[in-house]
Amino acid sequence: MNLNIEFYASLMKYLPPGKSRFRREVKVDDDITLSRLISQFHISEAEAHLVLVNGHFVNCGEDRAQRKLTEGDTVSIWPPVAGG
Amino acid sequence: MNESQKERYARHIRLPQIGEKGQQAILDASALIVGVGGLGSPAAMYLAAAGIGKLVLCDYDIVETSNLQRQIIHRSDAVGDDKVESGRRTVKSLSPDCEVEVISYQMEADELKQVAESVDIVLDCSDNFPTRFDVNRACVETATPLVIGAAIRLEGQIMNYQPAANSACYQCLYTHAYGAEESCELEGVLGPVVGVIGTLQAVQTLLILAGQGEALVSRLLLFDAYAMEWQSVTLPKNPDCPACGKA
Repeated sequence: MNLNIEFYASLMKYLPPGKSRFRREVKVDDDITLSRLISQFHISEAEAHLVLVNGHFVNCGEDRAQRKLTEGDTVSIWPPVAGG
Repeated sequence: MNESQKERYARHIRLPQIGEKGQQAILDASALIVGVGGLGSPAAMYLAAAGIGKLVLCDYDIVETSNLQRQIIHRSDAVGDDKVESGRRTVKSLSPDCEVEVISYQMEADELKQVAESVDIVLDCSDNFPTRFDVNRACVETATPLVIGAAIRLEGQIMNYQPAANSACYQCLYTHAYGAEESCELEGVLGPVVGVIGTLQAVQTLLILAGQGEALVSRLLLFDAYAMEWQSVTLPKNPDCPACGKA
């Protein structure tokens, strides 16, 4: 199935080649979970700080492991930020 | 409010969301600002200019030349001074009526809690996770509203904790412990990016003080300056949160 992925800020480096700075449409396995999608793009758990599916926050840990994705979902990922 | 204050804050008073009542609340309010760096600079300056009654500035660093590209509360001639003293000078020059108290050391948990309890609102303008978690915990334990900003490289985040609205807290976002985070010193940061986030912290603080913070409850804003993209996210309260959860 096809999904949209958005990797922001320092995570942009994990995007496959493409035109947009932060968004790609990607083909993935139909039964993929959110945590498998994250590891498929080599993003570590600590880096995947804020994960949104269609704009809704998904807790880390179990929620991500159980969260199934469906055709056309948009997954957005932001790294942790503490500086100031 | 006297005539001189009415003139000074006329543009606030004209706003239906602030009005004379909201401006009076700002004049009567006190805020603790933890960190007088890139975020704390615009936050303190805008709050002072807006007429806030009292600021408590907390930072144990001294001003360095490499701070000046973004920490706009500090001027070139302040290099080598305590950040809180340099901050006090700028705040006083903007708003002589603003009472300023300074804390030039790292507070222990008990004192932090005491100071948080003594003010109307806290702004987390610090630069590391351990401080952020301590400030959050002090605010949760004392039911003090908290406005949290963070920025590095070309990215920033802002959210707030409003205990009266039973909102999510900063720790609700963090199931993992982030000990060794990236620093602006190593990663770099574009000056105005911390300015944008620190300024938004002042905006949120003024709205909350004026009783207009409802639209901001449990919302996190994420800013990517490079992509020039904003995202606004609704944060669910984490029932297992180590700071505000039931356990």
